[in-house]
Amino acid sequence: MRRKHRESDEAIINITPMLDIVFIMLIFFIVTTSFVKESAVDMSRPSNAPPKTEKLSEVIFVRIDDSGQVFVRDRLTDIRAVRANIVSGLAQKPDASVVVAAARDADVGILVRVVDQARVAGAQQVSLVALSE
Amino acid sequence: MLDIVFIMLIFFIVTTSFVKETGIDPRRPVAETTAAKPRGNILIGVDTNGFIWMNKQRIELNQVRQLVEDAVNENPESSAIIIADESSATGVVIEVMDQVRLGGVIEIAVAAEPEAT
Repeated sequence: MRRKHRESDEAIINITPMLDIVFIMLIFFIVTTSFVKESAVDMSRPSNAPPKTEKLSEVIFVRIDDSGQVFVRDRLTDIRAVRANIVSGLAQKPDASVVVAAARDADVGILVRVVDQARVAGAQQVSLVALSE
Repeated sequence: MLDIVFIMLIFFIVTTSFVKETGIDPRRPVAETTAAKPRGNILIGVDTNGFIWMNKQRIELNQVRQLVEDAVNENPESSAIIIADESSATGVVIEVMDQVRLGGVIEIAVAAEPEAT
């Protein structure tokens, strides 16, 4: 009885195989970890559920037509002037939200630029709608 | 040493999110308000011709929803990033966004390159 007890006391767990497995797992996870970090612009898009009716007076409407021309509040605006126009719109109505309506054939680049510029201009909410034909 | 190895192992297990690449590398639009999206693990590519790419293969618009639902089942915290070419049509991107939303992902972003200053 006494001898048996001592024997188990001196037993050493052989950790070499476990170590092998742990190292292999470690290498596997190091290799498969892809640190893809896309940088992106958030786009909130109204759902298909009935939209909450916003008072038209509190919306700065930006339209992009299919040739890529930008209209801020129905005035043709250069892409670089969008920001200034939205800033002045927000100065009049600080709570206004910006609604960007893009035609189907407009380039994504312009859409992203407009949404981006609206954010820079300080718009609280920028939403995106598709312009139906 | 064993401790450190275990800690590294756990770290890599936790950070591995198995991002599925889209298979295309379009020219991303440039924007000033970009933010890095480490949690964005649903990547959807839209190329100049309006084709939609996911998991390195071309898919149809009506497959997007199913694939997004699968990804959400795998990882409920996932958010979607649409990698669209600068000159792809807005209509396709908006349709993809609708499908992603129907698939249960609310956080949607469009990939953009930070503006070089």
